[in-house]
Amino acid sequence: MLPDDPEDLDPGLARERTRLAWVRTALAFAAVGAVVLRKDLIAGLVVLATCPLVWWLGHFASCAAGPELRPRRLLLVTVAVTAVSLLAVLVALLSHSPDSLDQLLPRHG
Amino acid sequence: MTVPGPGTCHHGWPRRASAGGGATSGREDHDDLEPGAPGVETEPDARYTLANERTFLAWNRTALALVVAGLGIVQLLPPFPGVPWGRHVLGVPLIAFGAVVALVAYRELRRNQAALRRRQALPRSALPQVLAAVIGGIAVLSAVVLLVSAVR
Repeated sequence: MLPDDPEDLDPGLARERTRLAWVRTALAFAAVGAVVLRKDLIAGLVVLATCPLVWWLGHFASCAAGPELRPRRLLLVTVAVTAVSLLAVLVALLSHSPDSLDQLLPRHG
Repeated sequence: MTVPGPGTCHHGWPRRASAGGGATSGREDHDDLEPGAPGVETEPDARYTLANERTFLAWNRTALALVVAGLGIVQLLPPFPGVPWGRHVLGVPLIAFGAVVALVAYRELRRNQAALRRRQALPRSALPQVLAAVIGGIAVLSAVVLLVSAVR
């Protein structure tokens, strides 16, 4: 049974929009994973693994959300983005491609 | 109680369902956001909380876009002739700034939610100006790297 006023279910479609925002964020993780995957298989798979995780977080959030904020769940996103950034710095600096790192190092002789 | 939808995961909208709670008694008159008495905290309307959450997620997507841009510059661009460090100088700051954006976004999420709970005006955010400054700086740096590459 649905409530008489559809606005009672989801006023302004705020919950639906939030769920879509979670999906977009998960897809952004997948995009980063695809770029990392081009250079490093393991790191790329690690980043790609965060995509379903974030997707699940968003689905879980929209299903069980009360009126209050859940900062710990959102902190997971911050931790994930920060970890992906650090991983990306490592991949960028320690890449095996000879034309990126070797030219960065000082040449001897 | 609000009746949940049939077979869905919706638990209904809690705005009126939980109006009996002591801390949530003032929830109906949220549309005119009056500053509350100092020290009084009430749970804001779920729409505000969700909007706050979406803003946070949007900043995190921005951070991921910065990471992708930096990685793309470092890994996918061909090296600048004569400027072997050029790609790293442009890309690594973008990636590192992505981490900064994610961390600052979380701090702002907490600050905004605290302001909402106290019915105060939202604090000003420095993030848009910083983001514009960093992107502008990277653009100038790109021009410099290209010029140096062309001269050599």
